[in-house]
Amino acid sequence: MTDPLWQILWHMVPLSLASFGGGPAIIAGLDVMVRQNGWIAPQDFLHLFAISRAAPGPGTTLATLIGWRLAGWTGATLASLAIYLPSSLVCYLVYRATSRHRDRKWHRAMREGLAPVGTGLVISGSIALIQISGNGWAGPAISVGAFLIFQGLPRIPAVLVLMAGGAASLLLAALS
Amino acid sequence: MRDTRTDPAPVPAGALFLTCLKVGSLSFGGGLTGWLHREFVQRRGWVSDDDFSATLAIAQVLPGANVVNLVVCLGEELRGPLGAAACVTGFLLPPVLSVLGLALLFDRLGQFPAVEIAMLGIACAALGMLLQICWLGLRRAKGSPRRLAVIAAVVVGVTVLKLPMILVVLLVAPVSVWLVWRRG
Repeated sequence: MTDPLWQILWHMVPLSLASFGGGPAIIAGLDVMVRQNGWIAPQDFLHLFAISRAAPGPGTTLATLIGWRLAGWTGATLASLAIYLPSSLVCYLVYRATSRHRDRKWHRAMREGLAPVGTGLVISGSIALIQISGNGWAGPAISVGAFLIFQGLPRIPAVLVLMAGGAASLLLAALS
Repeated sequence: MRDTRTDPAPVPAGALFLTCLKVGSLSFGGGLTGWLHREFVQRRGWVSDDDFSATLAIAQVLPGANVVNLVVCLGEELRGPLGAAACVTGFLLPPVLSVLGLALLFDRLGQFPAVEIAMLGIACAALGMLLQICWLGLRRAKGSPRRLAVIAAVVVGVTVLKLPMILVVLLVAPVSVWLVWRRG
């Protein structure tokens, strides 16, 4: 049972199924898992965390990197499957079971009632992101600028706006 | 922007795969929900804004990475099991590969401060897409005290009172759904 591949499965599948709260819950769980098992040094964990943030996609790819450190490419593949597959299956089954009743009154009420809850969650998430982006007024200014560009030019490729944001950040840091 | 359709027609699995592959490849700096909203609601009109927000709430409550759950639900909605598989595969393949590529690269090169500053700017710009969802949701809620109250309750619960998100959703969602149900 000390085989690293077993260890990955044994720890990550339960984390996937219990990760209520999404990405932050998974990352916190991985942190605890790595500490308790002494898998990798804390500095290396932070390093991997930074890499997972620099790549596109969800920050939970941190799990992939931990698997990679523990057992190479096989570990990376297994960790990715262990962290994403179980929760995706649960989500799929729950969503499918409820959406069969699309035309029922309760389902319409559910969708219409959940929509503002979703909006509230995105607003809360945006506030949290603005708070941790720090860096004085530059960060929020870039966010608002990007928002105005997205609103004004709906057809503009998002990548262009993101690259402009990165350039603006470098420029502002150089000037200050 | 098309915002009226509530019963989406099936979308080819290939189109779902490619769209998710695009978001998965390009979504530097986070803000993935914003990316998905942009592609699925604003650009292609595959789902309505309201359905997107409702699906998002479901995806957030269930365990697992929220955006991955969201992609699974959108795929199921638009093309059944095949769509869900196409979406989640396309969505995760590029990030998993690029994170490994970056790890190999950084292990050789070390880290540069300029990269971090640029990444922060990219993340802030990506936040602009999330602000769009906020804006649309608030604009739709204009003139509906019920919607405004629900949004306010969630924001106060999560941001001001710092309650766990799951708890806030479990408290507010049933009330919100009941208010719609009662109206008939």
